Amino acid sequence: MSDYSSDENEGEFVLYRNRPEWRDVTPVKQDDGEEPVVAIDYTEAYEDCYDYFRAVLKTKEVSERALELTQTASYLNPANYTVWQYRREILKGLNKDLNEELDFIQKVILKQSKNYQVWHHRRVLVEWLQDASKEKYLTEAVLAKDAKNYHAWQHRQWVIKTFNLYDGELEYIDTLLSDDVRNNSAWNQRLLLHDKGGLSKNKHVTKFCEELYKSGNHSPFLLAVLVDMCYEQVNEGGGDSVYTLERAKELCSDLMTKYDTVRAKYWQYMIDTIEKKAREGTEDEAGSSTN
Amino acid sequence: MDKHILKFAPELHKNYLLFILNGKLPNMSSMETNRSVLMYFALAGLDILNEIDNISDERKKSIIEWIYSLQVVNEKELVSGFQGSTALNTKENEGQDSPYKWAHIANTYSCLTSLIILGDDLSRVNRQAIIKSMKTLQLPNGSFKGAKDGVEDDMRFVFCAACISHILDDWSGMDVDLMVDFILKSISYDGGIGQGPDLESHCGSTFCAVASLALSKNLHKLTKAQLHALRRWLLSRFDAGFNGRPNKPIDTCYSFWTGGALKILGAYQFIEDDKNNQFVLMTQDRYGGFSKWINSIPDPMHTYFGLAGLSLMNFEGVEQDVLRAECYAAST
Repeated sequence: MSDYSSDENEGEFVLYRNRPEWRDVTPVKQDDGEEPVVAIDYTEAYEDCYDYFRAVLKTKEVSERALELTQTASYLNPANYTVWQYRREILKGLNKDLNEELDFIQKVILKQSKNYQVWHHRRVLVEWLQDASKEKYLTEAVLAKDAKNYHAWQHRQWVIKTFNLYDGELEYIDTLLSDDVRNNSAWNQRLLLHDKGGLSKNKHVTKFCEELYKSGNHSPFLLAVLVDMCYEQVNEGGGDSVYTLERAKELCSDLMTKYDTVRAKYWQYMIDTIEKKAREGTEDEAGSSTN
Repeated sequence: MDKHILKFAPELHKNYLLFILNGKLPNMSSMETNRSVLMYFALAGLDILNEIDNISDERKKSIIEWIYSLQVVNEKELVSGFQGSTALNTKENEGQDSPYKWAHIANTYSCLTSLIILGDDLSRVNRQAIIKSMKTLQLPNGSFKGAKDGVEDDMRFVFCAACISHILDDWSGMDVDLMVDFILKSISYDGGIGQGPDLESHCGSTFCAVASLALSKNLHKLTKAQLHALRRWLLSRFDAGFNGRPNKPIDTCYSFWTGGALKILGAYQFIEDDKNNQFVLMTQDRYGGFSKWINSIPDPMHTYFGLAGLSLMNFEGVEQDVLRAECYAAST
């Protein structure tokens, strides 16, 4: 019961109150008052385990038996964050092999992949070990079952950003998108990569867009992306980029007069916004040069 | 369809919620640490059904006592607020300094709102202690973690912090500008808002973000372009019912999350109520309660959000428009 797996032969589960190694401990009952609210009908095993959990918590016992108890307690309620927090302190106190704990929590996550606490436990272990080498595999295993699992994406983004693991991500996203082009989680992840230096600095993006534009494609969406890239460059001071205020004006007036006339006011607003930004930029420079 | 009913059945929902509140719930052990949240769903649901006055004064009093038994005041460790359950309460540790007896921000929020629904005057709430402790939960990027240690941080807890500040009418428990910065950085490429920067837009986190901006009177920090994209993204979530993310199935709870965000942003009127309430009504269970999808098992969360969703539509038979007027006032 205490190791989360139904396929291993583990023998019969023995209540803690019947275990010889716990004989010296007096279980501590939960005090829910006389008229509890949203009372829960606990199973016998649950009540037994948590009575002993409260007992060891009182003294913050750091021992093998307490570690084993937290495993049962987390199995009975993986959402109990106090159990996980206490377990981590025991792991540290006993100087346990954290790689074994990684294997354990991996099994749990594969069964409880929408639970906040188990992912948090994983994240703390990865921080302690400073080893994120197994994380992409784990998240891929979870995403293979549910390609939009928010926890898995959140964990994956965290390891990619924290441990600089961007390599290969684009290829992975492409496989997900070829499975389901409407997977918005994957599209969002794609933006994580492209947005690093801004769209206007991403050669794949600019080359693709410019070629499309030159081939005569004047879709408002394409032109809008080009306008956004101009805005981005003007925002950052421009440099020698081809994405300038002048280009933005030209694109916006094409949109206003030819390709997206229903939103003419909006494109005029974009011209004004980018112009204003360009002016502010010049003023900033003037300001800083006098300092 | 045979198991489900289309007609609104307030009496059944009342009984379902009263059972959550007063019964002994089987198969709910995994909700142990969040019992106060379940209580909030039950009480708020009953409130929408105008049933709070039918709870006896004695029961109201005993619920209030139970809630106060969850209050932690610990000025030394700065873990004050409310716990989610009595799991760590024992006869011996009624004094405050027992290990891990820490408040959790979601439960502080649920307990305060439940006290208000029950008509308590919050006079026994240690406001100063809560505010002081809450301050330690804000991270350098503006986000909030749920408790002192061992829990994650995201937009849900930002929302709880904003609500607590609003309820206690004291914003000194957070750096508001930092919170706003976190929210603005969590706007995704498609205009919606994720649980944090770079994360996928989600209607749950979007509601939390928008409501936090409204409560702290910072909705004007959204640029026109951001507001426009946000409204468009939220409106696009409607397809005979609301979903929570692009290309995900429609789900009862988003009638509140998505609908609520649209209300705050003044764009709810573009939704066809009829279609939405048909979907929500179809997720009623014949024994009471609402479920996530049609033909699935009801639960307290979807029951509350189903009712709250109907309330946003000004559906007959429920308390009108669950979001308070001040929320809109802040948005205009």
